[in-house]
Amino acid sequence: MTTFIDYLLGGVSSGAIIALMALAIVLIWRSTRVVNFAQVGQAMFTTYVALTVRDATGNWIIALLAAIAAGAVLGLVVHWLVIRPVKRVDTSGAIIATFGVLISLQALAGMLWGGDTRGYAPPVSNDGIQLAGRIWPFSWYDVLVIGVTIALVIGLTLLFTRTNIGLAMRASAFNPEVARLSGVRVSRSLAYGWILAGMVGAIAGVLVAPTSQVSPNSFDILLVFAFTAAVIGGLDSLVGAVTFGIGTGLVISLVSGYSDSSNAPVVALVLLALNLLLKPDGVFGHHHSRAV
Amino acid sequence: MKYVLPLTHPLLQTVDVSVKLSGLQILDNVSIGVPEGVVTGLIGPNGAGKTTVFNVMSGFVKPDAGVVRYEGRRLEHIHPHHLTRMGISRTLQGVGLFPSLTALDNVMMGASSKARAGIVAQALAMPWVDRERSRLREQAIAVMTELGVEGEADRFPSELPYPIQKRVALARALVSDPKVLLMDEPAGGIGAADMKDLERLIRSWVPERTVLLVEHHMELVMEVCDLIWVLDAGKVIAAGTPEQVRNDPAVLAAYLGDEGA
Repeated sequence: MTTFIDYLLGGVSSGAIIALMALAIVLIWRSTRVVNFAQVGQAMFTTYVALTVRDATGNWIIALLAAIAAGAVLGLVVHWLVIRPVKRVDTSGAIIATFGVLISLQALAGMLWGGDTRGYAPPVSNDGIQLAGRIWPFSWYDVLVIGVTIALVIGLTLLFTRTNIGLAMRASAFNPEVARLSGVRVSRSLAYGWILAGMVGAIAGVLVAPTSQVSPNSFDILLVFAFTAAVIGGLDSLVGAVTFGIGTGLVISLVSGYSDSSNAPVVALVLLALNLLLKPDGVFGHHHSRAV
Repeated sequence: MKYVLPLTHPLLQTVDVSVKLSGLQILDNVSIGVPEGVVTGLIGPNGAGKTTVFNVMSGFVKPDAGVVRYEGRRLEHIHPHHLTRMGISRTLQGVGLFPSLTALDNVMMGASSKARAGIVAQALAMPWVDRERSRLREQAIAVMTELGVEGEADRFPSELPYPIQKRVALARALVSDPKVLLMDEPAGGIGAADMKDLERLIRSWVPERTVLLVEHHMELVMEVCDLIWVLDAGKVIAAGTPEQVRNDPAVLAAYLGDEGA
């Protein structure tokens, strides 16, 4: 029983990071109706930016802020240079194009920073907290990760429900034509979606770096888990992304604990396949029929 | 009221507008005028090109030839999101409400062009952002009250009967206080009692507002319009008062031919 609880505890913080990455995927889906497979590539790239800034300043927070800024810029650049022109011709082409962006970013990162795996020291201890006579598989760093995730989810929820820009973004996603007639600059709303997603992805990248290390490909597996969580959550739902992000983290931790960590991606993909068979719109998704 | 055609100073007009979409001539030298302060109707059999006229006027379709004039300005290359700021509001066929927003939020969306606060101010939750939002909210509630749907403010569109959804959509079009309302089939899918309300409502807007409506429901068109344009197969075939249009042989032929087809 203690082992079971230990595995669950171990899964919460990796679940929080999966949740953040899933949130980034959902933000772009909501604004542009494109699944951005490049999201982990963008996060990898901005984490290298953070690494560089940290080497120069020695400050974790400044490095995080640099990554967030780089994430915003990179999100906007990918949207403007790749997605917008391609999507004008073909929506599914834009989804394929995100794979192209992922591969390009990985190649570019390899050229700029080399292919070696680099460590990323956490700002607070990543060792298990000692409490009630034993060491728990839960560190102060995990507390930080979960705290940041909760703060981001609250912030995004307020943005989408309480501000005009949030409403405009939702309106642009649901019905661009009506949104335009209501005076919404839809192209700007889409750009905000990519910028926000870039920033959230950048935070996820910096947070996951101490446990995953940093290399051009080290976040690839995060894509599998985040994509699974986002799709099961309904792709449209922030709540869904967070719930199933954390859920995926727990499942992975249990699977890795009781069998072997190499089984975790397979289990995630099986869950994804089951979900697509049984509830294709996702658990928190709505089915939107379009009027002609 | 009698109209001497062509009109001398229409508020909104298309001049020789032609539109070709995927090889088909949708509009062929269409010139129609909308005089200020009255209700103008645009009718015609299915596929006549009525909605395309609206799309050209609101910037969704660029004409291959011809111009659109509004208050002396050219309109054919306008971006749709600038329309409300210029005092033009358009409703779409059906309702087009945003499903995950409450009725009130849907109506508030219609005032988007009046929102001034930028994204930084909103992200930092500056005090003037709240003041602006509560001002927009008051305007939205006022318009909803005018249309008798203020009680549904917190409901989602899927919880509302269709005629009420149409009123909410109408409130969204009115909240920007437009000078011109372009209404695409306002009577579609609503019953006789609501139709009478709609008639009264539309008449109550003139002469403060100018209305152009596309409508299939002939009774409503004949009742509310001061001036009617008739399109058939992308061409203007008749124009005039309801009586003139009703008795025009070309109009009868177009409609009967449509039914015979």
